Amino acid sequence: MITFDRVSKRYGRVTAVGELSLEIASGEIVVLAGPSGCGKTTSLTMINRLVEPSSGTISIDGRDTAGMDVNALRRSIGYVIQQVGLFPHQTVAENIATVPRLAGWNRRRIAARVEELLEMVGLPPVEYGRRLPAELSGGERQRVGVARALGADPEILLMDEPFGAIDPVVRVRLQNELLRLQKVLHKTIVFVTHDIDEAVRIGDRVALLSQGGVLEQYARPVELLAHPASPFVAQFLGEGRMVRRLALLRVRDAHLAEPNGSGLPAETVGADASLRDALDAVLRAESGRVTVRDADTVLGVIDSESIREASR
Amino acid sequence: MSIITYIVDNWGTLGPQAVTHIEIVAMSMAAAALIGLILGVFAARSERFSTLILGVTSTLLTVPSFALFGLLSIWVGLGNPPVIVGLVLYALLPVVRNTATGIRAVDPAVTDAARGMGMSPIQVLARVEMPLAAPAILGGLRQATVMVVAIATVGATVGADDLGQPILEALGRSSGTLAQVLAGVIPVALIGLTADLILAGVQRALSRGTAREAGG
Repeated sequence: MITFDRVSKRYGRVTAVGELSLEIASGEIVVLAGPSGCGKTTSLTMINRLVEPSSGTISIDGRDTAGMDVNALRRSIGYVIQQVGLFPHQTVAENIATVPRLAGWNRRRIAARVEELLEMVGLPPVEYGRRLPAELSGGERQRVGVARALGADPEILLMDEPFGAIDPVVRVRLQNELLRLQKVLHKTIVFVTHDIDEAVRIGDRVALLSQGGVLEQYARPVELLAHPASPFVAQFLGEGRMVRRLALLRVRDAHLAEPNGSGLPAETVGADASLRDALDAVLRAESGRVTVRDADTVLGVIDSESIREASR
Repeated sequence: MSIITYIVDNWGTLGPQAVTHIEIVAMSMAAAALIGLILGVFAARSERFSTLILGVTSTLLTVPSFALFGLLSIWVGLGNPPVIVGLVLYALLPVVRNTATGIRAVDPAVTDAARGMGMSPIQVLARVEMPLAAPAILGGLRQATVMVVAIATVGATVGADDLGQPILEALGRSSGTLAQVLAGVIPVALIGLTADLILAGVQRALSRGTAREAGG
């Protein structure tokens, strides 16, 4: 668990982050979101002390980070940035080996780890290990960046707009891959973005910050979209909150109706589909009702009323 | 009248002079590389120090070599020592300038990532900045070496027994011949060219992954 206790960062008279208190639970993805100048990157980099707080404390599992050896602290925390920052003079394998090498692992252990990580991020080691960063696409580079950050299997991963410079199609793919990885790895991930759609998509919780590092709301995405705590939050979330929120809810969790005498509607939707997809199917269906299936089992029937109910 | 014949006939003197010439250049460049790298690193870190050191080293280059060697011989005596010291001073500018430029040209994202992964400042310098600045630094070393090989001939005026000697002798005597001058000039040119080719090779070898291939 990462705990911010009244953490501030001031540059002269300018307050970048003001009295921020925040608890980030282990194994969760917490997204720090907000417009530029809201101090989200500053807050992130205070965790690995690339930026030192002006006041307040940040502790990891109860230990104040200010008292730790700064390089040891950083080696225990994965760090991914938008520009990736791969070492251009080193191969992909050498890049990924950075932290294990700093930690003094032996060659065989490093080689095995590098191979494992390349497999994990979907880059075949034989094909990619010996390439130089210049020979990779933007998406591949960012994958290597993630693999490098996971080098010594840190408990915490800091990601500063990691997919910000990637085209939208590949970005969604990388987001999905991150979520897939997280299901296996259960890291504590702190993720910075200015893109609210990305925030609600990947965050277990979203901390929304406004100018000067003021915490406006800290909540689960479904909560954030349903109940913005302030006009600022509502404005930052933008139009169509409730419809977008449906994308985060699953059909399985809705209260489904029993199939009635008139038989099952021909249209079907999967139990793990989002309520947005279900709504789309309902709007297309002649009867306004759609059968919910989990593989071969029929779970029930969903209609606009049950979607409305589930979304409240 | 063959220059080749002249060189062969006088190899007994010219050979050792060529060796001395190479020694003087090698010693000067070793010292200049060491000092220049250190000064260059500091210049990359501090804008004020950069302005100061580049000003000083540029000014040094404007001092005529004849005068500089003469002045230095007052403190370190005649022979090779004043020449070596003088050449170090001349060689500093290209080395310092290219080291500072090379380090500054490293993408901040790369050093940011390096620090973020827990590299100490020395590790960032040794493992990231220096390797990435290597082509530029080698470019500076090439410039300095070629320059120093030529200027070393002037060292003959303060008693350095290098390839400046045959030139100086020829110019100082009415009986001096063109062949005698060339006997100094041609080996000097060959030494300069060879050194440049070797350093160019090293530069290429160290340029892996770096887009910059700073010329010499």
